[in-house]
Order: sequence, then C-alpha cells, then structure tokens
Amino acid sequence: MIDKDLKRLARNAPPPLEDAKRQALDAALQAFDKAGPEKKRPAQGSAPVGRLSRIVTSIRSGLMNQRYMAGTALATLMILPAAAYMTWQIARDQPGFEPELLAPLETGRSAGPDMAMETPLPPAPQQEEMERADAAPPPMAAAPRPAQRALNPVGALQQGMQRNSITLQPGSEYGQANAQRHQDGMVRSPDYPVPQIEVGRDRVEAVASHGVKSVLEEPVSTFSADVDTSSYAMVRRALKQGVVPAPETVRVEELINYFPYDYPGPDTASMPFRATVTVTPTPWNANTKLLHIGVKGYEITPSERPAANLVFLLDVSGSMNEADKLPLLKSAFRLLVNTLDPDDTVSIVTYAGEAGTVLEPTPVSDKRTILDAMDTLRPGGSTAGAAGLSEAYRLAEKGFKEGGVNRVMLATDGDFNVGQSDDQSLTALIEDKRESGVFLSVFGFGQGNYNDQLMQAIAQNGNGIAAYIDTLAEAEKTLVQEASASLFPIASDVKFQIEFNPAVVAEYRQIGFETRALNREDFNNDLVDAGEIGSGHTVTAIYEITPVGSPAILTSDLRYGEERPATTELGDELAFLKIRAKTPGEAESQLTEIPVMPEAEAESFASAADDVRFSIAVAAFGQKLRNTGQVAAFGYDEIERIARESRGDDPFGYRSEFLQLVRLAEGLDR
Amino acid sequence: MEPKTRSDEEPADDTLAERASVGDREAFAMLVERHYAFIHRVAWKWCRDRSAAEDIAQNVCLRLGFAIRKWRNESAFRTWLYRITINAAHDHARFIAREMRKVEALAVHATALGEDMASYKPSHSDYVWDAVRTLPDKQRDAVLLVYGEELSHADAAAVMGCAESTVSYHLHTARKRLETLLRGSGEEQ
Repeated sequence: MIDKDLKRLARNAPPPLEDAKRQALDAALQAFDKAGPEKKRPAQGSAPVGRLSRIVTSIRSGLMNQRYMAGTALATLMILPAAAYMTWQIARDQPGFEPELLAPLETGRSAGPDMAMETPLPPAPQQEEMERADAAPPPMAAAPRPAQRALNPVGALQQGMQRNSITLQPGSEYGQANAQRHQDGMVRSPDYPVPQIEVGRDRVEAVASHGVKSVLEEPVSTFSADVDTSSYAMVRRALKQGVVPAPETVRVEELINYFPYDYPGPDTASMPFRATVTVTPTPWNANTKLLHIGVKGYEITPSERPAANLVFLLDVSGSMNEADKLPLLKSAFRLLVNTLDPDDTVSIVTYAGEAGTVLEPTPVSDKRTILDAMDTLRPGGSTAGAAGLSEAYRLAEKGFKEGGVNRVMLATDGDFNVGQSDDQSLTALIEDKRESGVFLSVFGFGQGNYNDQLMQAIAQNGNGIAAYIDTLAEAEKTLVQEASASLFPIASDVKFQIEFNPAVVAEYRQIGFETRALNREDFNNDLVDAGEIGSGHTVTAIYEITPVGSPAILTSDLRYGEERPATTELGDELAFLKIRAKTPGEAESQLTEIPVMPEAEAESFASAADDVRFSIAVAAFGQKLRNTGQVAAFGYDEIERIARESRGDDPFGYRSEFLQLVRLAEGLDR
Repeated sequence: MEPKTRSDEEPADDTLAERASVGDREAFAMLVERHYAFIHRVAWKWCRDRSAAEDIAQNVCLRLGFAIRKWRNESAFRTWLYRITINAAHDHARFIAREMRKVEALAVHATALGEDMASYKPSHSDYVWDAVRTLPDKQRDAVLLVYGEELSHADAAAVMGCAESTVSYHLHTARKRLETLLRGSGEEQ
C-alpha cells in the first residue's frame, strides 16, 4: 500500500512557465557575468566576497521586483506589523534575533551561493582545497578557505538567516519583493498528520520495539545514554486511574532508569563513570541470557559542585490553573530553591499571552525575593512558548556562570505554542543555544494537554532531561533528590556501542532505547549529539542475547553468507562494550572500552545482584505493557515475585510503589 | 586537469560545464537552458508548490552563475545539480519555517490583528506529500530521490554524499514512519 502511495511522489511537476524560466535564465547569466570573465574564484579573501555579494543582492532585488509587482498591496499590509514586531524585538535586545535583523546585506550574502551549495558535500574539503591550490593560477588564493569551510555546519544556517534580513525593510524594494513570501510563509496550518498517539489529549510518540537481530548480519548496536524518566510517571498515572497505557507509548528504558540503582561508582572525577556488566539467565526464556549494563556516574560532593545559574521558564497559561499544575509547580520549585547554594542564581520568566521576566538573575542568598516572586505567579492567558524561551535564554546568557551550570528549566503542561506544532523548528532554536553552553531541562505537569513528543525532543536537543511530575513526591524525587544529577552533568554526549562476538552470541535484542538508537557511524562522530549523565546518575541498558547453539535461535544461517567463526582469537569473550563521553564543555570525546568476559556471567538468576534483578523485573513489566511477544507467557505474578525479592533497601518507597503498579496492571489486564 | 577533447555538435554536460567554468558564456547559457526544466522539476518535487518551485529554480540559476566557476568535474553534472537544487529547496523550507515563527510571534504580540490568519498550504500538496514533508531532511531527501526521482540507491547516495547503506537506512526509517502516517490518512482519500 505504501508503495502505491510513494509512486505519487514521482508525479511530474506542471511544466514551468516560460516567463519564469526566461527570468531565471537572465538571472543566471547576470550572475555569471558578474562572477567575472576570467577564472577567478569568489572567495579569494574578504574584499571580493563583499563585492560579489552586493552584486547578488542587486540582481536579486531587481528581478524580484519584476516578478512580484502584483500582490504588493496585500504585501505591504503584512510588512508593516512585521516591522513593528521586529522593532519591539530590537528594543528588547534579544541576541537571538539580532544577527538576523541587523546584519548588513553584504555579510548576509557573503559566500552565500557557494557555502550553501557545499554544505552537504562531505568528501574531503581539504583535499579539494589542495587540488585547487594546484590548479588555480594564484596558489595562495585558496588560503582563507578551509577555516570558512570548517564553520559550515553552523554557518549554513546562520547564513540562511542573515540572507533574509531584507524582509524587514518596509516599503523598500526588498520589502516588497519579499512580501509575497510573507504570504506564503503565513501560519502554515499544522493539520498534517504526525506520528503520535492521543492518550486522552496528551500527545505521546508511538515507537516500535527493537526486533531480534542476527549477530552475523548486525554485530554492532549503538545508542545514546539518555536518562529521561517521564514515561514511568505517565504509566503510573494511567494505571492508578484504572487504564492500561497504550502499548506503543511505554518506553521501557525510561521505566528501568526511573529507579536509583546502587551500582559501584568510580572513585575519582577523572573517571567520569564506571560500567558494570552482568550476564544472567533470562527469567522469561530458559534458552536466552540477559546482558545487563549498569553505568554509574561520579558523584560530585557538595564542595566540588559548580555554581549554578538557573532560569525557571514557567508556563502560567490558563491551562495551568489546576491543582496538579501551577500550585504543584510552585511547591516543587520552592523545594528546589531550598537545596541551592547561596551563590547560585535564579531567574524566573513566565509565558502566557506574552513572555515576561518576573525575576532578573538573583542570588539564592536572597531567597525571600525569589520565593515572593514565585508567589505572585497567577495563571491566565494562552501560551507564547517560543518568545518565553528566547527571553529565558537571554537571562541565562546574562547571568552566565563560566564553568558553572547554566540551565533553563522549563515547566509546562505541554501546551507549548498555541497554533504551532512544528516541533522541529523549535528544537532548532534549542540546539543552537546548546552550543553556547546553556542547557535545557523540561518538567511536564498535569494531564490533558501534555505533549510528550515535543518535550522529549526539546530536552534531548537541549542536553537536558524530560521528567513528568504528577505528585509532590515525584517533584521531590526529580527536582530535589536528583537535583544534583539533573543539574550537574559530569559527562555529556554519552554513547554506547556494543559489539557481540559471533562465535558466542547468535542473536540479540535490545530492550527499550528505541528512540535513542544511533547509527553505527555516529558513535565516533563527535558532532552527533547524545545524552548526558549527571552526577551520581545511573544508566541501565539490557540486551536479551541468544547464545550460539541455543534452541531459541530464530534466524537460520545463510547459505551464501559469511560463515560463523568457530572461535575467534579472543576466545569466549561475549561482547565488547565501548563508551564514548565528553567532559562537559569539551569538544572531543574519550573512549572507554570494556570486554565482556564469561566471568561476568551469574551462575543463576537468583545469584545476580538485587539491583540487576530488580531492573530486569522492571524491564519485563515494561515489555508486558508494550505487548512484546517475548514476555507474553511470563506472568505479572512472576514479575512481582522478582521485584519483591530484589526490593532491597528502598528508603523512598519507589520500589514498593512499583510492586503496586504491577498488581494494578495485573488486575486491569484481563 | 587534462583538457578534454570532444566534438562540438552535441557537447556533453561535463564539457559545457568545464567550458563555462573558465568563462565561456555561451556554454553556460546552453547548459542552464538545457537543465532549467530539470531544476524546476526537482524543486517542485521538493516543495510541491508552484510559486515556491519557481523561486527555488531561480535561486538555483543565480547560484549556478557563481558556482559554475568552481566546477571541478568530480561528480556527474546531474549529481552536482541535484545537490545545489536540493540545498536551495532546503534553504527555502527553512526560510518558510522562520517566517512562520515570526508570524506566530507576531500574531501574539500584535493583538490588534486579532483574527485568524490565512493558513498556508503548498499548491500541489496531497496526503502523501503532507506525510513526507514531516520527515527529517535526510530521510525526506532519500525518499524523494529514490521514489520521487526514481534513482537507484547508489545514485541517491552520490547526490547525498553518503554511503549507499545510509540511504537504505534512511529509507527504511522513513518508510516505517510513513506507514504509520499513511495508515490513518490514506484510507480517507
């Protein structure tokens, strides 16, 4: 069915209008002539660049004027309010908008045509550079180029933004020229389908489970170490209301990572984390094993804690006017403020109708002012999330603490931007700010409007966590007990890659982490963003592996494929785990390698550590909620038994609560 | 680079491009004339909108005037042209997205405007395109190159500047997502 649909994409365009073609050809020739008669490259230094770009704009504006003469009446109508709004923006001195506004045209176009063109051409720019140096008459001409190229990933976007600075000049020829675009660009209605599941009115992204993979075909599995936990709170809420959550919306790894585990941690900060690997029999399948990876981050003791600069971005829109939203949010942040050091600063921005600064960066020593400001918050209005976010970033940059933790903490019921549901354009902004060292965490409140997909996307792009807060107890867990973990990253862009030894392991299946999967090649690419690990944080990943010779093997060997090696030089090593992570603020990642030896194997399931067994019980529970085939025959009573036996200390009652949820699910699942 | 000798009756793209790259105006004009329909077609498929396609095509022509000077004959001319055009299409899409953001903000602040603002829809959209345009750039490019332009995975990989397996991976991911999207809306059509 989908193939038939995709055929529609091959339908041909209506033929181009002769008129448009003629003008395009004229433009091409004019550009060609301006590029100079002799073979002279545009980027031979800064001066020619400036000259060329000015020419481009002049050609462009002339032509555009011809093309868009019609429709200018309407266009002017649109331009005026736009200009007014922009002026307001300048007045507010928002750095995010400034370059777009004030950049002179010549820089806007500088190297425009060729940079934009070359961004998706990864093949060795350096090499091309050298060849050019050989071929081009003035050899030194190529010199300034490499640096410029190096900036391309960022530059391309930047450049794209600057180019459109011309839209802001009302009444000028550029303004008119682009007025048509204003109309085109107007409020694209978000009525196209997005892959989401409606749970009540909450929007949650549906994900398919990882399948079983053959080690011969795909020996390597790569994923990012995100430690969001919001799925657990949502599952809990659903079950407590007597509803089984929609299977596709349960994220097993978030359930597993909700619980604190007491894995052995590293001793010094020079080793940011330590990984413990355990192999146990699978409780739900006698013929497979579970490979359990537990990572614990280094715990920063209070004296080493870096200074924090927190900006609370609080949603006070009308939809927040419910007991489990704004009042809960206020109490939660009060709790957090009480745990901060006197030197840390806090600012508050609200958004609803319009974004407003409630509190400029204020040191925590002045706690009274902060709490008073918090108390003045009243719900009302609809949501202007994007503007609020820009304002929050501005304050974060204003109070920026070099070497400290700079973080925007967004609390919302997820109704983030009335009228705009394009998650991608919002995340682009956040990604941009992440580079400047300001991270973003998201705390979801209430039920009904919560847009889980958007919040996940935002938090992942902002190097932060997304947590869902439904009770004050949960607020305490996320904000206070884990404050140091969520606030103080000790390793960022943490990626895992595990390679299985085909001589020992025939098949594997990763449990959860569907939305965190990375491409194999992304592992060594430091430009690819991944999750971060906070102080004292734990990350747990579990694979179900099928040993060679097990009757549980699903795929038969290929007749023409590569032969399975009987043994390798590395003997009976099961797998090889590689972890890449960056020290926060560094650009280069460090590699940790851990071979998984047969000694890691527990003799029986019961002999494995409590934490390992408990996390496996949670994994089984999550998979059952997802209707995963592998655990179909494994009952809730079994899960409850494992969890009860491995409950251990449980000072905060998290694990007891889990037992309760298992019983609830069992009762509902008939 | 060694000079190429070819007959002048039906000069190949590469020959023309090379001549244009050293300043042969006639060769350049011939080249652009020959490929305008192609550029327009690709632009159209990437935006499904008549006026946007014309904008993009004109932009590509403009860029070509400069870019041709740096023609290196490292890949087929078509491949190169695909890249420039797809890039221009992306730039245009980003431009639209940015304008939308501004208008959103504007709608909030300039309350005087009040009313609903006209919504924008590409002129030749259909339910498949509605789904395809929600894909991330790379996946969308892969889908459009392979299904829209009916290129082989290898050719698409050359255009995208990545490994063939990466194209297959993008397609696989995109198909999974499209299947979800189209299951709902496709039946109504």
